[in-house]
Amino acid sequence: MLIQEEMDLQEKLRILSDGAKYDVSCSSSGVARKGKKGMLGNTLAAGICHSFAADGRCISLLKILFTNQCIYDCRYCINRRSNDTVRTAFTPEEVCRLTIEFYRRNYIEGLFLSSGILQSADFTMELLYQTLYRLRNEYRFNGYIHVKAIPGASPELIEQTGFLADRMSINLELPTAEGLKKLAPGKTREKILAPMRQVQRGIAVQNWNSLGGGPGSGGRFPKSLEDRSESRGGGLAPYGKGWPDGGSRRSGVKLCPLPAGREIGMADTAAHPGRNVWAPLQATGRRFFVPAGQSTQMIVGATPESDYHMIRVAEALYQNYDLKRVFYSAFVRVNDDSLLPALPGGPPLLREHRLYQADWLLRFYGFQAQELLSEERPNFNVLLDPKCDWALRHLEGFPVEVNRADYGTLLRVPGLGVKSARRILAARKSGALDFPDLKKMGVVLKRAMYFLTCSGKMMVPVRIDENFIAGQLIGMEHKKAWDIENHNSYQQLSLFDDYGVTAPVAWEDRVSAATGAL
Amino acid sequence: MTVFVCGEEPEDIWCGIYDAWMSRLGHANIRLEPVGCDRELFCLYRDVEVTEGKAEKVTGSIRHKLSEEVYEAVYRAALSNDRYRADKVYRFLIHAFAAGAGILNQLQVPAVYEVFCMNRYLGREYSHIIQFTRFSQMKEGVLLGKIAPENDLVPLVSSHFADRLSGENWILYDCKRKKAAVHQANRGWAIVRADSSLWQDKLNKKTDEEIYEGLWKTFHHSIAISQRRNWKCQQNLLPLRFRPYMTEFVGKAPRG
Repeated sequence: MLIQEEMDLQEKLRILSDGAKYDVSCSSSGVARKGKKGMLGNTLAAGICHSFAADGRCISLLKILFTNQCIYDCRYCINRRSNDTVRTAFTPEEVCRLTIEFYRRNYIEGLFLSSGILQSADFTMELLYQTLYRLRNEYRFNGYIHVKAIPGASPELIEQTGFLADRMSINLELPTAEGLKKLAPGKTREKILAPMRQVQRGIAVQNWNSLGGGPGSGGRFPKSLEDRSESRGGGLAPYGKGWPDGGSRRSGVKLCPLPAGREIGMADTAAHPGRNVWAPLQATGRRFFVPAGQSTQMIVGATPESDYHMIRVAEALYQNYDLKRVFYSAFVRVNDDSLLPALPGGPPLLREHRLYQADWLLRFYGFQAQELLSEERPNFNVLLDPKCDWALRHLEGFPVEVNRADYGTLLRVPGLGVKSARRILAARKSGALDFPDLKKMGVVLKRAMYFLTCSGKMMVPVRIDENFIAGQLIGMEHKKAWDIENHNSYQQLSLFDDYGVTAPVAWEDRVSAATGAL
Repeated sequence: MTVFVCGEEPEDIWCGIYDAWMSRLGHANIRLEPVGCDRELFCLYRDVEVTEGKAEKVTGSIRHKLSEEVYEAVYRAALSNDRYRADKVYRFLIHAFAAGAGILNQLQVPAVYEVFCMNRYLGREYSHIIQFTRFSQMKEGVLLGKIAPENDLVPLVSSHFADRLSGENWILYDCKRKKAAVHQANRGWAIVRADSSLWQDKLNKKTDEEIYEGLWKTFHHSIAISQRRNWKCQQNLLPLRFRPYMTEFVGKAPRG
């Protein structure tokens, strides 16, 4: 391994951003914080992308590794121990300076700090903490910070870092424990889920306190929240398979105990230098713990899990770990390793796209994973997006009447989104709506027209027939492939195809062929 | 038909609306037009006189009798690049004062839809501009950002940056309208006309930026995954018209 201490900043930035680029998350959303006097920056709830790279992905944060040295040997990772690459590390000073100067010029929305594991998890986490501490307190940075929690680091360090960051993330990397064992021998499921649970609890306690349930109120942290995953009958593994404790329905994750007599969010931080210094403040003057929530990432296509398995895991994460986002990262083969799949067609981008579409359906459209896929149909349709696919399999519920249907029903119509459904609800109070009105509201009629009626009429007369509508939606050029995939017996007639008909040629046919009277 | 001719700024438009409304000629018999339109033979043209009092009366009654939300919508419409925005806002207000504050939801009404469209276009461009504005540091530590938006976005964008970069001295210059917002550290900001030669000299001075521009370009290049290269997606999300003003694309071929 070649470790270079002396290297100019530009080269370091090149190497350490190159090492960080496979991490997908670059969102700067989830927290709205106004600017403060004497500090630099603010944050917007929706987040801001500042540029787009040549691969079309947004650049919102300065996404870098603190160091690309690592004690682990994860098969899929470019920075793994056994790779012979140039190793380097930033100093906290350099990270702060880069962040501040980039931010002033409006290049970035904040910092995304990740790292290889240097010496130990605690040592690395401490370095990240130091960097964030300086950035917040010495450089007076009030913008967005996304930091990685290092699996295996001590809960104290993670908690203190959480008070400085806006979002924390711990990458799940692979949806099953078996996959993790095979490709990332240094990591275990428990190690990854423990800090995730800790951050979740920290946020939950804080929210509960801010609702007036703090220690002074005499109330008790609601039991239901404490035992959330258990009471819902499962931690992460949607079905026992792949779970470390041999298929038990219980999560098996040891909850990180809070320090005695303390609660995150109301912590007495006297022992800690961070007290009375930087902290995003609430109206009550309290510090915020990970205000933008936590996220995670799964690699798509490195192990043989199906789409169904991926979205079941994502759903479990949203329900049991209160995650804000699950990101999907199409696997890019950067290492030549016999355990990794060969991907002659490049990274599985379409699969990743379909997973994101399904993820949105889970989070904003009230769908559940089992509605979209099942054990029998474990993968998404290549030609149709998950919502159209669902609607085609549930034609009994369509068409929907725009002027009467409730919000939940409207959301399930292909071509309608959250915004257009809300506009419809607001507009129909003052009069019936027709198709041209829907177009104005941003409804995509080329999809929605098969599933909607306005005052009892469809836009054009169509047959409510799965095969017909599928053909219209997909476009004729893809129709054949769809037919093959769905084993349909219907077929478009073609002049130059005999369809396997073997009727004998009659005398009249010969005559008409000879006289040209065909 | 009587035509009220008013200027381009929001104040001019409010005064135009006041004059038109108070003329008592009937809404169907009047029209608002910007300066410089072709004149018609059978129309009577009146120039609108701009006074602070008239503008305040209009904005005041929109805010009090309707709502802040409606005011925000018409203010944004007044900043849009639609040539006939004054008349469109006027037609919208006729409906608004009849229907009340809920008017913004009635997209089936054509006049409301017009204002909605102007708002949507302006809103989209606003979010692009706050994404893609790039500042560079001049000799005295002043940050200079240049933009060329279709809509008159300087007031809205400036209030965004006034909150974000409150401790910095910065100038945000609109290359199309030749006006600039000037912000003083920990004070406020003001919009000034910047078409004088003194201003142009100052704006065209070379900025002292090799180090951070170089670092940013390095980062922008190395953060892309080559196996996923997708120019079309990049161009959809970052239209070419913004690129001449963006550090990472200056001096580059349109791709990348």
